[in-house]
Amino acid sequence: MNTDTKIIGTPVPKHDAGIRVTGKAVYGHDIVLPGMLHGAILRTKYPSATFTIDVSEAKKLPGVACVITADDIDTNNISFKRDHPVIKAGEVNCIRDEIAAVAAETKEIALTALSLIKVKYKKRKGVFDPFEALKPSAPKINKFSIGNFKNKNIAGEFHYEHGNLEKQKKRSKIILTRRFSLPRMTHACMATSNITAAYSQSDGKLLLYSSTQVPFLYQRDMAHALKMNPSDIRIIQPVIGGGFGSKLDMYPFEPICALLSIKTGKPVQILYSREEEFIASPTRQPMIIDLTAGIDSKGNFTFREVNVIKDNGAYTSWGATTPFVIMQAFSSLYKIPACYFHATAVYTNNVFAGSFRGYGNPQATFALERMIDMLADEIGMGKDEIRLINANEQGEITGQGLHYQTCGHRQCLESVIKSSKTKIRTTSNERYKKGIGFASMLHVGGGAKIYRSDGCGSIVKIDPYGFCTIITGANEIGQGSETVLAMIAAEELGIALNKIKVINSDTDIKPWDVGVHASRTSFVAGNSLLGAIKKLKNKLNAKARQLMNEPSADFIYESGYLFSNQTRSKIAIDKVVREMQFTEPNELAIAFYFYEPLSEFQDKEFKGNVSGTYAFASQSIEVEVDTYTGNVRVLNVHVAQDVGKVLNPLLLEGQIHGGVLQGLGYAICEELLMNSGMILNSNFHNYKIPTASDIPEIHFTPIETNDRHGPYGAKGVGEAPLIPTAAAITNAVCNALGIELLELPITPERVLRAINGKQTSRTKKNLTVRNGK
Amino acid sequence: MNFELINPQSFKELFLVLKKLKHRKYRYAAGCTDILIELKRNPEDDLTLVNLSQINDFKFRGISQTKNSVRLGAGVTANDIVRNLNIKLLYPVLWEAAYNLASTQIRQVATIGGNICTASPSGDITCALVSLDATCVIIGVHGKREIRIRDFFEGPRQTALKKGELLYEIIIPGNKKNTVKLFSSFIKIGTRRSMECSVVSIAYHIQIDGFNKILTSGFAIGAVAPTIRFTAKACDFINRKNINALTERDAESFALKVSEYSDPISDIRATRWYREKVLFNLSKSIIEDIIKCQIEVK
Repeated sequence: MNTDTKIIGTPVPKHDAGIRVTGKAVYGHDIVLPGMLHGAILRTKYPSATFTIDVSEAKKLPGVACVITADDIDTNNISFKRDHPVIKAGEVNCIRDEIAAVAAETKEIALTALSLIKVKYKKRKGVFDPFEALKPSAPKINKFSIGNFKNKNIAGEFHYEHGNLEKQKKRSKIILTRRFSLPRMTHACMATSNITAAYSQSDGKLLLYSSTQVPFLYQRDMAHALKMNPSDIRIIQPVIGGGFGSKLDMYPFEPICALLSIKTGKPVQILYSREEEFIASPTRQPMIIDLTAGIDSKGNFTFREVNVIKDNGAYTSWGATTPFVIMQAFSSLYKIPACYFHATAVYTNNVFAGSFRGYGNPQATFALERMIDMLADEIGMGKDEIRLINANEQGEITGQGLHYQTCGHRQCLESVIKSSKTKIRTTSNERYKKGIGFASMLHVGGGAKIYRSDGCGSIVKIDPYGFCTIITGANEIGQGSETVLAMIAAEELGIALNKIKVINSDTDIKPWDVGVHASRTSFVAGNSLLGAIKKLKNKLNAKARQLMNEPSADFIYESGYLFSNQTRSKIAIDKVVREMQFTEPNELAIAFYFYEPLSEFQDKEFKGNVSGTYAFASQSIEVEVDTYTGNVRVLNVHVAQDVGKVLNPLLLEGQIHGGVLQGLGYAICEELLMNSGMILNSNFHNYKIPTASDIPEIHFTPIETNDRHGPYGAKGVGEAPLIPTAAAITNAVCNALGIELLELPITPERVLRAINGKQTSRTKKNLTVRNGK
Repeated sequence: MNFELINPQSFKELFLVLKKLKHRKYRYAAGCTDILIELKRNPEDDLTLVNLSQINDFKFRGISQTKNSVRLGAGVTANDIVRNLNIKLLYPVLWEAAYNLASTQIRQVATIGGNICTASPSGDITCALVSLDATCVIIGVHGKREIRIRDFFEGPRQTALKKGELLYEIIIPGNKKNTVKLFSSFIKIGTRRSMECSVVSIAYHIQIDGFNKILTSGFAIGAVAPTIRFTAKACDFINRKNINALTERDAESFALKVSEYSDPISDIRATRWYREKVLFNLSKSIIEDIIKCQIEVK
């Protein structure tokens, strides 16, 4: 591949930046269709209850077109485990539960109609603690749950191990056991959830304007829910105002909107209010992680023994599969001779968790990186030193079978250690104490083979005017993939960026792709596009050879021309296309390609090389803690990330900043608070995301390891910057104060309690074992 | 959320409106930063909003200085205070409270009248005005009266205003003639640095003469009791003391005296324990900071 690039590696602004900042972008909220009705959903008042419902008054209200309850619909259950009814019949199990829906001429009429629906509840005592739910006396929470587990409230289990745990325990000098507790965090997308459905009663086809991240899986899920043929459903993605994993699943409001359109024969739109978004969109999984880890006398890690209890909520989303990623961090981040891992997702009457950027990895990384600091303290080693000793290496095949063909872990660590070396912990008796914390992360960097295919299709065409159109299966949810794909085409075809169009939002047109997740789009869609371009160039080259009468020439594509490598003579690309198209044998300048990464499926023991490549990152973070109030101020964040190759430094920096800030929120202030199944802070006033004035200095150093499988050597970058941030911040605070924090977020109150020696709520007995060697 | 909206253009018009509304349910609105959210959450039937933000009255909307005081109209916005260099110079506590309020957008419209009359225990500007021992000028269909701001609050969201009355202006007493140095600041504690509702706040304004003697002082605490409170005993403790004589022990004694005025609740923002602890620590820090300055002088 050409390593001397002209466009790749340059800071090209996001190609949709203009329409975004001028308000011209058409989001789902901006869509208006002729005759469109407005849908609204009635949710339960109580998290656990049986109920009867009477919608007769609502139906009588002028302007109401349709009212539906479970009795009016014929649907299959939805969700990853098909344990989630679209509209709940007779019983509710979490505060999000949909019990009726209305379509009306205006939003106001729809909301008034909801208020006219009479519901009689018989409250039940819900189960809101996963440990309570595992007790034999607990009621069965989800009656649709499937699987053969030892307890009725288990939604899923994952077990993994490698190495000889007992042997490693024996050779450990220090063994520590700690319980870590991770909160519910919500995505807080700027655009609230939305959908517009238009069903045609004349041909039975359903058109959906939907913000999904995975249109082809969504199409299939929707068809399953509605008992339709998937290809009768067309998904168009409007501009999406934030995904971060929240749109990986299909949620009940989406088939509900389709059902309202099917029943009325008119387009129907459902838009969430912000309060509804907080209540009824998914969260990051809350978890309790019990971790025991050991270290030998030389500072080598010996083993990790992990037991994870995840609060699944009432239904099972894709989020229940996060142990795939969690176990990967425990089994393969730093060299680990032995690992035992068990994760259990437990049904409760809480709101259900979904997938969220990092997919379990921020939780796992928090536990294991906090643990590394504690091990370092016990054995008396530097927190930088201990990490360098155990860092992953190029060529390593981990216990889980991940093959690190390239690995920038050590360089990442060295970079952030060097950047922040001068500002180590202050020891004086001052009110404000400074500290520094390190953390690393490992994440898939070349997709993740968890579905039957992890592939992506591309079509590339050049028109008779020399403009290029890329039709890609990949999805744009704000991460900038359209821009990167256009840059790849510009680089390879020598066509100016303003002559390149990207079509990526319509399932009737675009080729298949599994969806935007697992930091895979630039890697998988980039490789896919390169494959299509290669095929197209073969066609163009053949024609150019004929036209220029240079049968053995090869061509360099530059500035809209093909230059012969033999004679340096040139021909315009549009001329080649016209000659192909309009002279015999009359061929289109078009090519397609389907790229499937070389990754493997994992076996039943979860072993296998699941990704095309792996990304590494380290962060060192400096904080200042006010010991009078417990407030933590993050001063400097040093990020070094193995990105393979920088494709676009501007977009890359954007991903880094966004990820670090999301991680900062996770560390310090974000938590969706619940009490007995009710959400206590369903607004931005009390659900606190960091503001502009909380933003630290972020210093980013890309580490280029040039992975031969990546496009131009690139790896996935999207999730990584969020993953180690909370761990590094908490390590820094513990370093500053000499305390032990095991629970996120580290709110001022939690920090002040720790300073004052008060135990936080959910930590249990923590153990230290010193072997007398 | 449904309400009728009336937009009087002058006080004359306003009083005519109030007479008409005598037997109706009405509420005042100006910046609408709180009331719209409140009404969205808890809609009130048959409500009239009387919009005060279009009243054309320079005293109601302006800041003026007299020999012994500064007068702020109730319609003055937080941003008006931020832009007023005189206030920044004379009453840093008030300037900082306004400057740290919510966000730029909200400061453009939020009025001090609204901040005071909402009577929130965590009102930032209000807390500063209590520390400055300001006086509220109330006008109404039956005439005009004055009340010390510390007596204006009768409970959370309850004020001394009667039906037919409204807050017209606030008078802040001028600094003492002999004052040469001010320790005046607003401390606000929350989880983040902007867009935050105080979990604990302290406003203080300490005036010091050329001999380092504290001439007078004002301390007010917010979000730690049903109303914002003026901590008179703590002020008495340091008034007339020489700052060079203040010790770490004084800082503790002072903090204990401030704490006597607190009676916080536990809510989703913070527990009672946290509020009490932070109030004590911050009160102590004010005296500690003064002690640090005395070392710097030496």
